[in-house]
Amino acid sequence: MLQIKNIEKYYGNKNNVTKALDRVSFDVRDGEFIAIMGASGSGKTTLLNCISTIDTVSAGDILLDGENIADLPADQLARFRRERLGFVFQDFNLLDTLTIEENIGLALSINHKDAAQVQKQVHAVASRLGIADILTKFPYQVSGGQKQRAACARAMAAGQSLLLADEPTGALDSKASKNLLEIMSGMNRDMGATILMVTHDAYSASYAGRILFLKDGRIFNELLRGERNRSVFYHEILDVLALLGGDVSDVI
Amino acid sequence: MSVTLSSLSLRNAKRQTGDYLVYFVSITIVAALIYAFNGLIFSDELQSLSQRLKQLPLVIILASIVVIFIMDWLVSYTINFMLTRRSREFGTYILIGLESKQIARMFFMENLAAGGFALALGILLGNLLFQVLRAIVFSLFHTPYHFSFYFSLKAMGLSLLYFVFIYLFAQLKSRKRIRKLKIYELIYYEKRNEREAIKTSRKRRMIFTLSIVLGIVGTFLLMAGSFLPGLIGAGCIIAFLYGFFISFASGVPAFFDKRPALKYQNQNLLVFRTLTAKLSTMGILMATISMLLVATIISEGAGMIFRGIFTGRTRQNSCFDILLSAENTDEEIFTAGLQYIKDNIPVKAGLQYPVYLTESSRFMDYIENRTDYYRTYPYDTVMRESDYSALRAMLGYPPVTIEEGQYLIHCQPYIAKVLKGWEHTITLGGKTLTPKGLCTEIFAQYLYSVNGNGFILVAPDDAVKNCPVSHTIQAFLTSKPVEEDLYHALSALANEIFERKGWQDSTLIYVKAADEADAASATAMLVFPLYYLALVLTITAATILTIQQLSETDRLKRQCKLLQKLGMAQKEIRMALHTQFAIYYAMPAVPPVLIGVPFIINMARVVEPGTLTGINHPAVITGTSLGLFFLIYTIYILMAITSLKKNIFL
Repeated sequence: MLQIKNIEKYYGNKNNVTKALDRVSFDVRDGEFIAIMGASGSGKTTLLNCISTIDTVSAGDILLDGENIADLPADQLARFRRERLGFVFQDFNLLDTLTIEENIGLALSINHKDAAQVQKQVHAVASRLGIADILTKFPYQVSGGQKQRAACARAMAAGQSLLLADEPTGALDSKASKNLLEIMSGMNRDMGATILMVTHDAYSASYAGRILFLKDGRIFNELLRGERNRSVFYHEILDVLALLGGDVSDVI
Repeated sequence: MSVTLSSLSLRNAKRQTGDYLVYFVSITIVAALIYAFNGLIFSDELQSLSQRLKQLPLVIILASIVVIFIMDWLVSYTINFMLTRRSREFGTYILIGLESKQIARMFFMENLAAGGFALALGILLGNLLFQVLRAIVFSLFHTPYHFSFYFSLKAMGLSLLYFVFIYLFAQLKSRKRIRKLKIYELIYYEKRNEREAIKTSRKRRMIFTLSIVLGIVGTFLLMAGSFLPGLIGAGCIIAFLYGFFISFASGVPAFFDKRPALKYQNQNLLVFRTLTAKLSTMGILMATISMLLVATIISEGAGMIFRGIFTGRTRQNSCFDILLSAENTDEEIFTAGLQYIKDNIPVKAGLQYPVYLTESSRFMDYIENRTDYYRTYPYDTVMRESDYSALRAMLGYPPVTIEEGQYLIHCQPYIAKVLKGWEHTITLGGKTLTPKGLCTEIFAQYLYSVNGNGFILVAPDDAVKNCPVSHTIQAFLTSKPVEEDLYHALSALANEIFERKGWQDSTLIYVKAADEADAASATAMLVFPLYYLALVLTITAATILTIQQLSETDRLKRQCKLLQKLGMAQKEIRMALHTQFAIYYAMPAVPPVLIGVPFIINMARVVEPGTLTGINHPAVITGTSLGLFFLIYTIYILMAITSLKKNIFL
């Protein structure tokens, strides 16, 4: 589905260049749940931003179903974001002026879907994510976990196939985190969503099927879960992180 | 449930009313001002007050063009500011698939809705404001004011046209900006670090010193009063303001870094860090605001000086209804004028009398050395005691008797101050005369061909009779007020004679009604636009400062909560906030006061002495200009404080 080919990303000016991504290449297959791990400043968020078209790459290609997203004209790019891409931020990024229902339905109504259809779709995804009872509330009236589930619902409501999540559990307590991660793996398993999740939390990462470890902008290691259970996988992740030299605090 | 772009816009616009209430109120007030002044353009009733008001529309339209540019800046600035503050929201829209042109359109609709509402409200308010302007114009022309409702479709149309211009320009700019914005910049805008405008301290010090020098030089050049130095002076002032604010803002952190003891004293750290965080990114804006405030104070001061000049000059000759004066009484214009008045105007009282010249300029020399007096006669002027008594009787002034061997001085109050205690004798017609005293009633003593310039001596008839005649005056009081048309008729008469035989006559024609209409029209045409501009300038500057300050509410709230947790007393927090507030608003206002005050005082000095007195005294004018400016400024400060208090100290 997604091919990342030798991408590089530089920041700064000619006197002071920071290399955020250094020849990163990997493929994402349909229906995969990938976690991207690494210490602060290793390039995780930059990688996600480049894939989501929030940021542009300095070199290399990102191909979505064989098509280079850098070559897409503005209207097709907007369409790509609208129809294919869902994004979940650490700080939710819900619009304060809209109710949870409207936040979820926004992308759909922009797609000029029939109003009744929008409502139906919103309710379907909301009940799947367990937030059907808070649809009429505004973001400031609900808890962090509910907000993040609403953000997930928004990311998936239009039937988007690629969910990009940047530290989705970063602002949540452990119970809400667990709840959200189970929902995300449910979305991956039952709805066939392809998920790319940036995290520095080994527990969150253990929900993924494959983990890419980034260090100084390069892919340092790759870990596949295979048939192992989550607890074994979790310990393996901790081992790699120790090898990676991450802080103890990063490994909770 | 369906969220369309327009409903989203409406909701955003509604939500923002709280944040941008100050901006909305300002736009409404300016809309009201625009409508009210447009009302003056289209009001036939006001136009009919004087022929000279025919130029008024042009002057108001010119002022309005300047207002459009200033408003365009305010609207563009605020739109840009909102855009920055809502960057994350817009980033989210793009992320979920909106195209930037859709966002540009939505943002435009929001601003259009707010602007349209402000215009509608402004026009309603403008009707009231128009009545105020109408009352002022009526009082200028000594016409009794009566309320009569006036709504002008044309004035509304013109106001709408101006608003379309304002919003069209602003929209074009914001559209360009939105289209250029990258989604990454939008989403991570808040995380961007602020940059110091000037990095090296040497450069900063240099710019700071240079700007101060330019500021002083500029103020002196502005005070020089002539065109070219004035223009260069204005350039220097602009360079000073920008240089000063850019270098000052980035210099404060450096100043405190070098003086840690001062930095940690009382609440200095808190106050100055908060302030410099703002100032370092606002240097250019602060300079622009300061420039607007300089223009405000100068406009207000100049407006008042002009008003003072017009009323002061008119008052000085206003004791007679009609005056004709000539070097020879057989001049054709003089005789024809007299004939015309005899035939057409019911005269209550009249007197023809000569004004003589003495053989010395002793009084003029004395006065000239002590005031800004300038001479218009070669020698001191004098008149006969009998003429003087007759004129006093005609004007209803209490009689004054001059004994044999005495002389009297009739002068303007400012000369009376100089001549107070004057005890010198004079010799006239071979007689030595001692001073009787001073009289200072209004006595037509302004400039040329009247009862002396600023003063006249009054001496016994036989002492004066052999002196050379300077000119002869025919003064009239009419039994009912004359119209300014009389002046036009007499002028037409004079022109006809002039065209026939060339310019030979020295006849001066004065008609009080025409002089007053002149002054009233000039006041309306010069002072109204200056005040219009001054108001718009103050409102614009204060609005931008206040929007900036209020946008910090959330941050300040968090900061106060944190400080409270750290153990700082509420009283101390409040004090730190107030200090910061005071410095923030004082900074852009200090340079304008330092530049504006000397400018006004100097401008007032150019006027001939004795004109600006009483409520038009330069000190009163300076005080009133500053007072008026600070009144409006304070209203905005109070609005900001109230809102801040409500939000922070719950």
